[in-house]
Amino acid sequence: MGIVFTRLFSSLFGNKEARILVLGLDNAGKTTILYRLQMGEVVSTIPTIGFNVETVQYNNIKFQVWDLGGQTSIRPYWRCYFPNTQAIIYVVDSSDTDRLVIAKDEFHAILEEDELKGAVVLIYANKQDLPGALDDAAVTEALELHKIKNRQWAIFKTSAIKGEGLFEGLDWLSNTLKSGGV
Amino acid sequence: MFSLFYGLWKYMFSKTEFHVLILGIDKAGKTTLLEKLKSQYSNLEGLPPDRIVPTVGLNIGRVEVSNTKLVFWDLGGQPGLRSIWEKYYEEAHAVVYVVDAACPSRFEDSKSALEKVLRHEDLQGAPLLILANKQDLAQAVTAEEVARYLDLKKLDERVYTFQAVSAYDGTGIKESVDWLVDVMERSKRTEMLRARASVGISGPA
Repeated sequence: MGIVFTRLFSSLFGNKEARILVLGLDNAGKTTILYRLQMGEVVSTIPTIGFNVETVQYNNIKFQVWDLGGQTSIRPYWRCYFPNTQAIIYVVDSSDTDRLVIAKDEFHAILEEDELKGAVVLIYANKQDLPGALDDAAVTEALELHKIKNRQWAIFKTSAIKGEGLFEGLDWLSNTLKSGGV
Repeated sequence: MFSLFYGLWKYMFSKTEFHVLILGIDKAGKTTLLEKLKSQYSNLEGLPPDRIVPTVGLNIGRVEVSNTKLVFWDLGGQPGLRSIWEKYYEEAHAVVYVVDAACPSRFEDSKSALEKVLRHEDLQGAPLLILANKQDLAQAVTAEEVARYLDLKKLDERVYTFQAVSAYDGTGIKESVDWLVDVMERSKRTEMLRARASVGISGPA
């Protein structure tokens, strides 16, 4: 009962809250993105074992952003965080063309998950500052994004290091979540 | 046995769901149209036009019009992104093609993109609604003039129409949707898609 009131209260007065998972292969730049969004600066990161979680307030939405470690051995644990997720940010190292196939397979496996059926999908084609980075159209092709037909998606070119593209992506995300999501 | 009857039941009584593709070059007003559709036909608010950013991906709008479910797919129109349009053709019941009627300098681009869409065999027989958008602007030309500019040939077998609209203030939206629902309910394309769906998994993937 308490929960009902809390929900009602927050829907009337509070900011919207959204739970967002940041996923992607190891070394895609997830942690750098998280702290760039949260503090506006580049922090030096080490491979994440486990997760980082921060709250980012933007456009009247409180994004609870979960950055989950991307190494093969810990990817199976992503699933523990799937319930109640409104959106996924999938981060790709656009310059790591050798591993785009793996990135694609992981991505489509995530989309199959029942508990993520209602989540909208934002893709960051990251590391645009590196030479040889594929652009948004090429990453779209490589990830086979066109196979997504029953939920909204968008892709943005980003450079976490330079801070480019990240907030444009969040703009899209907050608009989409506000206008009814999936 | 049960599933056979269930399938039949579903076939006969479930509401048909129509997939409508919203295409057009960038800045034509596709997403504004989608948001307008959402606010007019569903209880969702829809984004105000000033909050809309260029689409780089897919936006979806689900609305219900007189017992018919419509799913609108709005795809980004920038040149680099047009290559993914065709991936959505196969399942589309109809196409809405949006033209910025207030921007004659881009009619040529609009025309060639549309011709490419119409040539694609996956869209065979799909009804086509061409919208002369942005009628709220003083310099917008009429639907007839857009038709003259686009000068489409070989449309004889395809059901199509031109309609003047403003996705901004909602002019012409209702007429457009009514036309769409009406033609989709009767089109051969719908029959074909329905037949393919009832074959189910054995059909083309």
